[in-house]
Amino acid sequence: MKKKIVSGLITVAGFSLILAACSNKIDETQPTEEKKEHKFSPAVKNKGEAITGQTLEIAQVSSNDFTGVFSRTFATNALDSSFFEPADEPLFTYDEDLRVRDGAAAIKFDEKQKQVHLTLRDNLKWNDGEEVTADDIIFTYEIIADKDYNGVRYNNNIRNIVGIEEFHDGKAVTISGIEKINDKEVVITYKEFTPSMLQGGGSVWSSVMPKHVFEDIPVKDMEASDAVRKNPVTFGPYYVSKVIPGESVEFLPNKYYYGEQPKLDKIVMKKVPTASATASIAAKEYDIYVGMQTAEYTSWQNSEGYDILGQQQTSYSYIGFKLGHWDAEASKNKYNPEAKMANKELRQAIGYAIDNETIATQLYNGLQVRANSLIVPAFTSLHDDTFEGFTYNPEKANELLDQAGYKDINDDGIREDPEGNPFKINFAFRDGGDTAQALAEYYIQQWSEVGLDVELTSGRLIEVNSFYEMLENDDPKIDMYQAGWSTGFDPNPTGLYSENGAFNYTRFVSEKNEELLNALSSTEALDPAKAKQLYSDWQAYVFDEAYVIPTTYAYEVVPVSDRVTGYDISRDLDHYVYADLGVTAEKR
Amino acid sequence: MGGLSRMSTEQTEQQEAVSIPPTGIRMIAREFKKDKLAMFSLTVLIFILLFAFIGAMILDQDVVTKINILDRFARPGDSSMTGHKYLLGTDEGGRDIFGLLVFGARNSIFIGFSITIITSIIGVFVGLIAGYYGGIIDSIIMRIVDFIMILPIMLIIIVLVTIVPRYNALTLVWIMSAFYWVGKARLFRAKTLSESRRDYISASKTLGSSNFKIIFRELLPNVSSLIITNLTMNFAANIGIETSLTFLGFGLPSKTPSLGTLTAYANNSETLANRPWTWVPAALLILVLMLSINYVGQALRRSSDARQRLG
Repeated sequence: MKKKIVSGLITVAGFSLILAACSNKIDETQPTEEKKEHKFSPAVKNKGEAITGQTLEIAQVSSNDFTGVFSRTFATNALDSSFFEPADEPLFTYDEDLRVRDGAAAIKFDEKQKQVHLTLRDNLKWNDGEEVTADDIIFTYEIIADKDYNGVRYNNNIRNIVGIEEFHDGKAVTISGIEKINDKEVVITYKEFTPSMLQGGGSVWSSVMPKHVFEDIPVKDMEASDAVRKNPVTFGPYYVSKVIPGESVEFLPNKYYYGEQPKLDKIVMKKVPTASATASIAAKEYDIYVGMQTAEYTSWQNSEGYDILGQQQTSYSYIGFKLGHWDAEASKNKYNPEAKMANKELRQAIGYAIDNETIATQLYNGLQVRANSLIVPAFTSLHDDTFEGFTYNPEKANELLDQAGYKDINDDGIREDPEGNPFKINFAFRDGGDTAQALAEYYIQQWSEVGLDVELTSGRLIEVNSFYEMLENDDPKIDMYQAGWSTGFDPNPTGLYSENGAFNYTRFVSEKNEELLNALSSTEALDPAKAKQLYSDWQAYVFDEAYVIPTTYAYEVVPVSDRVTGYDISRDLDHYVYADLGVTAEKR
Repeated sequence: MGGLSRMSTEQTEQQEAVSIPPTGIRMIAREFKKDKLAMFSLTVLIFILLFAFIGAMILDQDVVTKINILDRFARPGDSSMTGHKYLLGTDEGGRDIFGLLVFGARNSIFIGFSITIITSIIGVFVGLIAGYYGGIIDSIIMRIVDFIMILPIMLIIIVLVTIVPRYNALTLVWIMSAFYWVGKARLFRAKTLSESRRDYISASKTLGSSNFKIIFRELLPNVSSLIITNLTMNFAANIGIETSLTFLGFGLPSKTPSLGTLTAYANNSETLANRPWTWVPAALLILVLMLSINYVGQALRRSSDARQRLG
């Protein structure tokens, strides 16, 4: 599941679009009592023995085309990474907190020396029979740091390696921080050792390029070369045998694979347009449908012959409040204590007034759950299940508003601000999916029930791109907004909520907040128990200040044919999922 | 009233007209009596208008547009938790389709009607002025009309609707009226041009009547048959424009139900296939409304033209 290894944090632009789910009452006799709880399993039920000589077909459901860049060093398109998955095994696997652990290579962290030791498996070979060596690892870093490389991987995480900037600037011929011990071992020295380094997508790059294939190609030509586009050399369980650009990719088993021999004769991955995916499931055209739209969940959830796998995504939706502005010159967020939403009780009341539980079960058909904090449940040992968060409590909301002085003076059912002036909140909402409109109106309705006059910014849902543009530019028409974040493999929220973070759209800044956030990046947080404590502290502070109110976590769901065995969409597998993939019957 | 012009031009017809005075209303009534389809359409139209306007008076818009996510996509005939029966089911927000249909029909008809009236007033006035005076005034006015006509009107309306802050039904009416009067102006100018060359106008001029009097007391009555038929046909077209704009997502704000917002539910393939109750009633209503307006309009047109008359 490499497409999810995104370094840093990305905005989930079409978030509600992906997650939008429509509900259809299944049992008409008791439509309202029915609880639409989903207990998804990430793994297939079929535990049978795989039979030989079979072809597995995977549908990549998408409305976009893949560009066919089969190298993670150069790829920027998530769909490309998906189409490369069976061949492109990462060096590591990930544990239940999405920290890096041993896989094709063994990894050891040395926090005192600020070093990482990588040891490749003895029998790790490229699919052309060559050994994967330490030189390949060093070569990959040298490509990324090359001055001709203009991909996205030369980022802050990579620059954290000692000597890499000198190499990039041409002042050194090698990267001084990367040292070859022997043919299979490498030691990388870093400038700083942070807890984020332990996480997937951190400073240790999980992909390797074959030096013997690429060494004669100039770096600027690599992305367009056949070695990237046509016949990429890989060490995963399968290798790319045929590419039809924009349409399909075929894979054959890699006979030099380090583990057990792959169980399938062939994997075919094809693009299926979003619009025809539901019909395709009904016709049983493919074994696995990756990227199904949850909006139409009810139309395929009971497809015969398919099992629905699911797990929570590493993302959350939230309601944020504009409390200042971004000072571009100082590259800092400036908190404005005079902002309209600067009253803490007001923000808390807004959080208590909305019923996210009902929204998750009814509006999203159970494919979302109420969020209690900004740390997603995927980070098992950091997420605190017992934390209450904002629950639906209109009495408490009323009480808080009364306390804060927001009272209805002229008896029109709408509260005025503490000075007695009319009080109206502008709420910005992204357009996306069929539920967006209903959700926005439902929120506004619930706030009006506690006497708050909330209106959609510009009177309607805002197109996604202009929404984020308005948010980034601190448009004065936004007092409050609904958005989402995907956290990737790193739970550290510093980039999203700190004083220096441009992504801190709320522009909330306080000393205490900085202090708590900095603690999360300190070496102290390397200790798991301590880390949990630190995350909980920050969480409690966010809950109290309520500058963002987490609303829901979402599920991803994947329909898989009953004949498929060994498939598991969990992020924390101890092996590479395609190595185990097989089928137990000839027919779907 | 159309008899007036003929009176001054043809001797024989004048005599006929004197023997059976063809007053407008009676002519129209006779036309409807002869045409069963037009009569039926008129009845249906009146019923729809009553349904929309009386229904909207009885029902409470705040209750109808209230979101009820526990009752999302209730089927027709289902009951809500509070025991309210949904005659036509509910939409994605748990709103009663029947109520939305009443308010939607009222809003769409109101908008279509307002636009028709406003564009007609502007169009007739501008057309009369341009056609009557001719010359440089005609040229200036018609170049302005030509200019507006070549603009991609639909696109401009969409852009305007998007940038106008806090827009509502009235804003939409004004925006659309600002562009759709030009067609009428051109039509009435052409009619006025031919009409103002006639002898009765020249006679009136020679007698020293003021231009104002000629335009409004003599020209206007003689183009009135065209106004009435054009009005009806345009009414249907304008309802159509509003519903299609709303269907595309650029019409009324979502809080204001319209026939367009209701049919827009069919944009979702799942709803299109499996929840027909959300969009079929509105689509049917549009169809019936358009057809009946059209038949009524045709009957009106025939009654204003002696050669086509049935009765």
